[in-house]
Amino acid sequence: MIPMEGGGYTAPGIEDFQFTGLFGTDWITKPMVQAVIAAIIVIVVWVVAARRLRVVPTKGQYLMELLYEFIRNSVGRDILGPGFRPYLGLLVGLFTYLLLNNWFGEFFLFMFPTMSNIGYSWGAVVLVLFIYVWAGFRKHGIGYLRKALIPEGVPWYLYIIIIPVEFLSAFITRPLTLGVRLFANMFAGHLAVVVFVVGGSYLLTQADGIVLKVGGGVALLFSILFMLFEMFIGALQAYIFTILTAQYISSSISESH
Amino acid sequence: MKEKTATSTPTEGRDQGMMIFSYLLAGIGLYGGLGWLGDHFWQTSFLLPIGMILGMAISIYLVIKRYGSAT
Repeated sequence: MIPMEGGGYTAPGIEDFQFTGLFGTDWITKPMVQAVIAAIIVIVVWVVAARRLRVVPTKGQYLMELLYEFIRNSVGRDILGPGFRPYLGLLVGLFTYLLLNNWFGEFFLFMFPTMSNIGYSWGAVVLVLFIYVWAGFRKHGIGYLRKALIPEGVPWYLYIIIIPVEFLSAFITRPLTLGVRLFANMFAGHLAVVVFVVGGSYLLTQADGIVLKVGGGVALLFSILFMLFEMFIGALQAYIFTILTAQYISSSISESH
Repeated sequence: MKEKTATSTPTEGRDQGMMIFSYLLAGIGLYGGLGWLGDHFWQTSFLLPIGMILGMAISIYLVIKRYGSAT
C-alpha cells in the first residue's frame, strides 16, 4: 500500500482467522474456548431464568420472556405449527447460542465471531441435519424417505431422474447452504471490521501527511459504526438460521406439502 | 406463490426461497456434474451445458410440484 522504511503495511487476511493452541496444546484454540463459554453462558442463563419465575416478572425475567416469546411466536408457532412444542427448546437454545457467538465478534476480550471459523458452522449444521432427519423418521417411520424423495403428483417414469435431485437437495445442499450462509456472513463481516481497524490505525500512526492521518481516523471511527452493523447482521443470521431450522423440521414432519 | 393460504406467514416466502435455492443448486450440480463427467470421458464439450440446463429444468419442475400447486 504505502511504501515505508522498515516494516510496512500488511493487509488483514485469512491469517487473522487462524489461531495457535492455548495452554500448551494444539487443539484448544480461541474459537473453541469461545464456543464452550457461549454454551456455558446459554445454559446457565436459561436455567437461572427458568428457576426464579414470578407472576409479576422482574426486569430480567421480562427480558428473557421477551426473547423466549419472540422465538416461540415468530418461529415456533408460525412455522412449525401446532406440534412446535418438542422443538421449542432446540430453537430457543440454538438462537441464543448463535446470537452470543456472533456477538462475540464485537465484544472486548473476544473480538472474534466463533462461526467465522467454518468448522463451528458445520457443527451447528450437522446438529440441525440430524434433528430434521430424525424428526422425519419419528413422525413418518420409513415412509419419511418416500415423502422426502418423491413429491406428490410426479409420474413414476420420472422417479429415476427426480430422486437423485431430491436426495441432494434435502440432505446435501440444504445443510450446505445453511452452513455457508452463516459462515460467510460472519467471516466477511469480521474481515471488513478488521480491515477498517488495522488499516485505519496504520494510517493514523504510521502514514505521513495530514490527509492520510485524518483518513485513518475516519476509518477508525467508521469501524465502530461497522461493528454496530455487524451486531445487527449477527442477530439477523442467528434468526435466519433458527427460522430455516424450523422450516426444515416442518418440511420433515408435515403431513403433506 | 402469490395465492397465499390462510396459514401463510410473512417469513414463509423467504424460507421457501432458500429451500428453492437448494433445489436449483442440487439439480444444476448433479446433472451438470454428470455432464462434466461425460465430457471428461468422451472428450466432448457440449454435455456440461446440456446437463446444467437439464438439471435446472428438473429443479424448476420439482419446485413447481413441491411449492407451486395449492397445498
